Amino acid sequence: MSLVLEGFLNTVALTLLSFAGALLVGLVVAVMRIVPVPLLRGAGAVYVEVWRNIPLLAWLVLFVFGLPEVGVRMPLFWTAFCAIALYEAAFVAEALRSGVSSVATGQGEAARALGLSFGQSLRHVVLPQAGRRVVQPLANVAIALTMATALAGVVGVVDMTRAAQRINLELAQPLLVFTGAGLCYLVMAAGIGFGARVLERRLA
Amino acid sequence: MGRLFVAAVLLFVAGCSGGENAVPGGGGKLDALLAKAPAYTGQVVPGSAVDRIKKRGKLLIGGSQDAPLLSQLDPVSGELTGFDAYLGKLLAHHLLGKPETELLSATSETREPLLANGTVDVIIQTYTITPARRERVAFAGPYYRSGQSIAVRKGTSGITGPADLAGRTVIAGANTPAIAAIKQAAPTARIVEFGSDPECLTALKQGRGEAYVQDQAILVADAAKDGELQLVGEPFTEDLYGIGIKHGDAEFTEVVDDWLREIGKSGLWQEVWRQTIGTVVTGEAPSPPAIAS
Amino acid sequence: MFDAPGPRARRRVFWASVVSAAVLLALVALGLRQFAANGQLDADRWRPYLTWPVWRYLLGGLWSTVVAAFATGVLAMAGGLLLALRPNRFTRAYAEVMRTVPVLLLVYVMLFVLPSFGVNLPLFWKLVVPLALSHAASYAVIFRAGVESVDPGQREAGLSLGMTDGSVTRFVVLPQAVRHMTPLLVTQAVSLLKDTSLGYVVSYAELLFNGRVLANYNGLLIQTFLVVAFIYLVVNLALSRLAHRLEAARARAAR
Repeated sequence: MSLVLEGFLNTVALTLLSFAGALLVGLVVAVMRIVPVPLLRGAGAVYVEVWRNIPLLAWLVLFVFGLPEVGVRMPLFWTAFCAIALYEAAFVAEALRSGVSSVATGQGEAARALGLSFGQSLRHVVLPQAGRRVVQPLANVAIALTMATALAGVVGVVDMTRAAQRINLELAQPLLVFTGAGLCYLVMAAGIGFGARVLERRLA
Repeated sequence: MGRLFVAAVLLFVAGCSGGENAVPGGGGKLDALLAKAPAYTGQVVPGSAVDRIKKRGKLLIGGSQDAPLLSQLDPVSGELTGFDAYLGKLLAHHLLGKPETELLSATSETREPLLANGTVDVIIQTYTITPARRERVAFAGPYYRSGQSIAVRKGTSGITGPADLAGRTVIAGANTPAIAAIKQAAPTARIVEFGSDPECLTALKQGRGEAYVQDQAILVADAAKDGELQLVGEPFTEDLYGIGIKHGDAEFTEVVDDWLREIGKSGLWQEVWRQTIGTVVTGEAPSPPAIAS
Repeated sequence: MFDAPGPRARRRVFWASVVSAAVLLALVALGLRQFAANGQLDADRWRPYLTWPVWRYLLGGLWSTVVAAFATGVLAMAGGLLLALRPNRFTRAYAEVMRTVPVLLLVYVMLFVLPSFGVNLPLFWKLVVPLALSHAASYAVIFRAGVESVDPGQREAGLSLGMTDGSVTRFVVLPQAVRHMTPLLVTQAVSLLKDTSLGYVVSYAELLFNGRVLANYNGLLIQTFLVVAFIYLVVNLALSRLAHRLEAARARAAR
């Protein structure tokens, strides 16, 4: 029974922490992609393309088995956290960027015509409108991230999927065990969806 | 740019020629073994497994690509070497008169399905005979006696036997018999699973666990390749490996059993052992386990 | 987002560029130093990747990846179309469940649950079927959004010209829907190709799995997986570029 709890808690913790990390890094990358400094825009674009075009499993293997080879040693959980957070940050950055660019260009032009600076127009005009529009895309990233944490089980972290698989070996009740694990993911996704709707309403 | 290209081509060529020499223990060993291999003289019943294999002209084997000394693929030359791999070649030679085989990657969770739906003819993959498995597969053999052993990083102290694993982080291959063995010997051990033996080994060396429990034959092979590894004591379980065959095919099981008895008697089994596991295990070749009729 | 920069803004951009270049260079240098200090940049560790047999082995894996991705794509699109055309309670629930359950869990179901009910598929399908089941839901969402993105006036206009319902769908709605869907379809194709790396788990010999076998054989873990990652990157970038190219050509031809 403790295995069930361990797997569930690890999945929840990995999801929450990775999403927080992804938001932070994703925000930085998104800002890099819209500032008027060509070098930073390029670096931001490279970050997004590199991270989202390589499978997460490849990143996890590289991080878990590769980092110690270059002298970086971290516990398994935190290694998986880094890989997942940096990977999903690319998707967060894209969600944020398309949210900002979805605000009509006229809005930004109007703000500048009124004499607002880049920072001011961003803060007072563009971001408040973009905020509402990015909630749903970010919730989608969060749900995808919940699913992605299952891959951490492949590189040794005892997450819910790995726990389910190990319990199945003992109980030989595959239908029950895997349905239960699936339901846990459904509940987590439902929770994220609910949170997103509440947030959307408050931002409206 | 042009110079760089030329340099790259030169390196490429140099690498190619270097690769040929780098191939360890290749066909020569196998040819010597094949020269002594017995040929099947029994009847071929139409529709039987032997008939199917003969018609196909190829033996389909489920096994590993990454088990040193047992069944390891050289990705460069495409050659498969090791104890299990050679037995497979010899079995093919026995049935077909030529060592024509095809290896399909199997894992501990895909073996039974592969046999059941006829994707492979046999599984030769350190396949431990257990009562539970006997309900779903037929086993020829046993052809090898082994057991779960403990390995640690050289210089680790405090682990002298399975009871010392209690409360420690122990690495094991996902879905291997090691997990049940650890749970029985030391219920409070924390188990960390990885998908393959080399991954487990890397994890042990990188300090992701204090000990690694795996089949002795595999650990011995690992230790021979890697000076950082140290085996602790003797195996603490006894496992007998069998050749997996489709459930209910008593006829083919007997054909393989007869063949195993024959190569055990003629000394060919011992020869295969010396060429593979015997290159790292000191001492005389053991006698093959007795096969109940 | 911003006006053409004036002299002051230009100066600011210049200094920002200098500072960020310094920071980026420092990061790269730090990484390289860490690699070099651990001997990972030694020529010996990279030389095998200049030889053809190694590439032949990895590209063989890539081919299996592409085959699996293609089979999955065909099945998932067919399934997605079916789901999109029949929006009812069941298909909606299906899409909702598949959107949240990890593919790995589906793969495990394929490996452990179905065999005990007598369903045993070859290895290839044990990878492709769970992937297709999962991605069908994503395709359904894309198809539905694509069709809904076409102004209903378009359909009405077609009908009022005397076109049949089928030909309106075929000649008016679908061409516009496809144009709207293209970016999403490309993203989906990339995500599908990436997901075939689960072959690593079912031991289907695709690119990542072959990378593992190779790394286990030559012990060059970092180098092998960096090369594998690079191959994924190139293939997926090429896929996106190709799709954009085709889309641009089609848009020109349509005009």
